[in-house]
Amino acid sequence: MRSGIADIIKKSPFGPIQAHMIVSKASAEELINFLQFAIDLNWDEAVQSRKLISELENQADALKAETRGLLTKSIFLAVPREDILDLIKLADDIPNTVKDISGLMIGRQMEIPKQIAPSFLLFAKEAAAITDAAAEAVDYIDELFQFSFGGNAATKMQQLIEKLNSLENKNDHSEITLRAELFAIEKDFPPINIVFLYDIINKIGELSDRAEQVGHRISLIASR
Amino acid sequence: MEVIILYGPYLLISGCVFGFFMAWGIGANDVANAMGTSVGAKALTLSQAILVACIFEFAGAYLAGGEVTSTIRKGIIDPVLLADSPDLLVFGMMASLLAAGTWLLIASFNGWPVSTTHSIVGAIVGFAAVGISIDSVSWSKVGSIVSSWVVSPLVAGTFSFLIFRSVQTLILNTNNPFDNAKKYVPGYMFLVGFVLSMVTLVKGLKHVGLSLNFQESLTYSLMIGVGIALVGSLFLRRIKNTRQQKGDVVFDGVERVFAVLMVFTACAMAFAHGSNDVANAVGPLAAIVSVVQSGGEIASKSIMPWWILLLGGVGIVAGLATLGYKVIETVGRNITELTPSRGFAAELAAATTVVLASGIGLPISTTHTLVGAVLGVGLARGLSAIDLGVVGKIIVSWMVTLPVGAGLSILFFFSLKGIFS
Repeated sequence: MRSGIADIIKKSPFGPIQAHMIVSKASAEELINFLQFAIDLNWDEAVQSRKLISELENQADALKAETRGLLTKSIFLAVPREDILDLIKLADDIPNTVKDISGLMIGRQMEIPKQIAPSFLLFAKEAAAITDAAAEAVDYIDELFQFSFGGNAATKMQQLIEKLNSLENKNDHSEITLRAELFAIEKDFPPINIVFLYDIINKIGELSDRAEQVGHRISLIASR
Repeated sequence: MEVIILYGPYLLISGCVFGFFMAWGIGANDVANAMGTSVGAKALTLSQAILVACIFEFAGAYLAGGEVTSTIRKGIIDPVLLADSPDLLVFGMMASLLAAGTWLLIASFNGWPVSTTHSIVGAIVGFAAVGISIDSVSWSKVGSIVSSWVVSPLVAGTFSFLIFRSVQTLILNTNNPFDNAKKYVPGYMFLVGFVLSMVTLVKGLKHVGLSLNFQESLTYSLMIGVGIALVGSLFLRRIKNTRQQKGDVVFDGVERVFAVLMVFTACAMAFAHGSNDVANAVGPLAAIVSVVQSGGEIASKSIMPWWILLLGGVGIVAGLATLGYKVIETVGRNITELTPSRGFAAELAAATTVVLASGIGLPISTTHTLVGAVLGVGLARGLSAIDLGVVGKIIVSWMVTLPVGAGLSILFFFSLKGIFS
């Protein structure tokens, strides 16, 4: 036996998005482990880590599909459907990018020069921290809908976004430092390797960009 | 005439069985929709919900259900036209109970959101128009009933929209929602008590030996409202602003304040449902009993025997106990998105609308009214996602219910007529 009332109210599409962000966060954190293994030239462990990253990416894809499944045409949503679709698209770039980075590095057995290793790791750690902050903001949207603290919500969300911005700022500086360090030593290494190293740096930069965009999109949704 | 004297006891017994069957169907499905929201919001446990339903369904039916019962019993068909053939009225009402009960059973097992009210009204109109004559149906009354089916969800939706908006402005969107919740929630409790007692008292409690004029009703209702608000405040005092886990849902202090309020609106909902929907089973049965007991006379002024109501009440409880609790469980599990601050708004709006309709004797669908109320909360952006496709299905199902209810009752009517004559 079923009933009409229960069928009318649908699950919030933010549920799977939040789960997706938790997966993204885990994936960005795993990237740090992966990079450490790569720096240590411990390729066996790196391959294991890459497997985990791949798995996380699969989970993220499933959650993306679940989110889209909740957005059927007949659903009336409290926030614009396009915003939610954009959000999940942006969020899904995070585990994808992590997978790209790890794949490229494994495939080419890329070595990270010892001289830039600390800056390199710091740069990646900061990207993971941005993902973390974005996940926190996404998690907060649920509070908005479940508890709807309208007045406080705006302030709290603003604080979360400010935190995100300052992390992103720091990350920009780290990127500049890292690029300068790499530039200083690049002529001592095979040029092709260096080109790919720059590519990896770009991709990590992309990772933090995406995480930041997720944060901004969620604050936009919250303020509507 | 002869048929009734000859087969009187048989007709009476089968009428009771069919009435019980219908009441059982109401208890098995309809009550669940009324109570499920409270269980889903974790304001009541399953057993508490059943207890509340038993008490307040009965109270609603007894204290405020008279008008709707008399509409079902003698408002839809003009009994005067049937004075010469009382047996037809008896067969018709039996057929209607059987038709509506059967249709409800089929629909429930298939998960179609049909309404008990729509089924029984469709059935009565069906047997009367086809089995007796088109003119035996008071079409103006039927017209006003059908238009109330369109109006009631709209009214409930508007109420719930406004109630939830007021909650947002007064409580949720403020800097200190918890303190404001404690401050304003007794006001909503007052509203629950006031509206229910006002409708019940103004409509009249002559049948329990209480006769009040409007002024007195107003005074007593205000007192009852204040009394309920005071009792509620006592409960609220115990709530601290901390989070609490209930099942897999976390509630913060504000929602826990609303959960207390929701206990009150759940009672109101059960009362409202009792006042309107019990009549669907009791009304036709009352018509059968009055004809049979008077030996074939259609007395339009006879008083309804108390045991008919008891039979209806017991039937509903039986339905609840055998199947209804399962439906409540399902409804409750599926609508956890409806937190107490939303659920109460939907319930209060729906209960108010249904009780008002009961007061003027209009049989409306509690479930559809509640659907309208839930949509109102959704429009106020209180719910993150609502399936309009299901709303469309509900509209289709109530359009289908009328001809099906009518068709089944025509079938049963001619069968009964054939069996007994």
